[in-house]
Amino acid sequence: MKLCVTSTGRDLDSTVDFHFGRAPYFLIVNTDTMAFDVVENTEQGTGRGAGISAAQMILDKSAAAVLTGVIGPHAFHALKLAHVEIYEGLSVSDTVRAAVEKFKKEEYRESLEPSGGIGRGRSFRGGR
Amino acid sequence: MDAEALEIIHQRPIETPLIAITGGKGGVGKSTVAVNIAEALVQSGYRVALADADVDGPDDHILLNIPLRNPLDVTCTLPLIVDAKCTRCRQCVDTCRRHALFQPKDSSPILIGECIGCEACILVCPSDAIERGERTVGKTYKSEMEYLTLFTGELVPGVEESSFVVNALKNRVLNEAKDSDIIIIDTSPGAHCNVINALKGSNEAFAVTEPTPLGVHDLNIILKLLQILHIKASIILNRSDLPGVRGQIEFVSKTYDANISVEIPMDDLLVKSYVKGVPVVRMYPEAESSKGISRLSKEIAAKYIK
Repeated sequence: MKLCVTSTGRDLDSTVDFHFGRAPYFLIVNTDTMAFDVVENTEQGTGRGAGISAAQMILDKSAAAVLTGVIGPHAFHALKLAHVEIYEGLSVSDTVRAAVEKFKKEEYRESLEPSGGIGRGRSFRGGR
Repeated sequence: MDAEALEIIHQRPIETPLIAITGGKGGVGKSTVAVNIAEALVQSGYRVALADADVDGPDDHILLNIPLRNPLDVTCTLPLIVDAKCTRCRQCVDTCRRHALFQPKDSSPILIGECIGCEACILVCPSDAIERGERTVGKTYKSEMEYLTLFTGELVPGVEESSFVVNALKNRVLNEAKDSDIIIIDTSPGAHCNVINALKGSNEAFAVTEPTPLGVHDLNIILKLLQILHIKASIILNRSDLPGVRGQIEFVSKTYDANISVEIPMDDLLVKSYVKGVPVVRMYPEAESSKGISRLSKEIAAKYIK
């Protein structure tokens, strides 16, 4: 299956990134062959809606599942609408490769409800 | 800012003088000053419209002890995507700066995030597949007394579109205040977009401050904003006898060529009237604070009311 893992870098030996919408890279890994595509998160620093735009980016790459640390409610909603499976709670010190191996051993359980996450994103609004 | 932009910013449909009470800092007494200037003008026989543009927490009606009446909803656009017309081109999704729209495969886009009603999606849609829905973001009110009409803007708690409410309030005041001799607008603290919207078109803005380091800091910011907007600025120094940084206030005053138009000392009578919900100029006309505010109101009337 095509699994999207949030990553701090561009290859399988990069450390994972914990936050779905604000991750610098998404690695779309074929869990059978370990071949992967790199998607740079161009909206990482956006004011609002980073999670939704990240969901759109990885949907365009036909990812069937997402493995990340935590995912906000908007992105959760979007991915559910697109029938993308969501797995949260990866270990922050793992490499992408190690995370995918754990995933293959079924160490992660699918998230069926939003865990809360951050959701309101980063605000550009100063004051009121 | 160039002259043409300034002209557009400040244009308004009626000639009634518009005076803003502002000040970068919260809690310096803007609303107390605004309500008392309005009341003092009424005492001088003028018909006054007071607009409470602190839409996150309007409280002029509390200071005047009058109920909010004649509510009107303030709405902003909510995009409604018509699935039958949508060609799945996704231009709306890519255009939305808030990333509020999401397009699952083989479906029309769905609004998931926080829409601010900018209508960019409607503009770019090549197949007219997005209709204008409405979402209520606040209310405006109009409470009439004999010579004073209070207009109030109120934002729905938790909603971000404060400038929509300020603009709606401003429009209502300008459309319904034709019979008033003068409009006083009480802005929120800060120097952000809804303060700017409240200040637009003012003949003069009075920045209320106090002689504290925070007061000086925020006075500097609001006077800079007024300079950018080319609005004549004056200072109202509240709690003027606080043992504070008076010299720094005077320095900022000189820097921006904004006179200290009145000093209001700390005044027990002002506090007593505040607790009672009665403007001090009505309850204790002999109080030091009342005398200063009444004098300033007469100067404002002489200068702006024809």
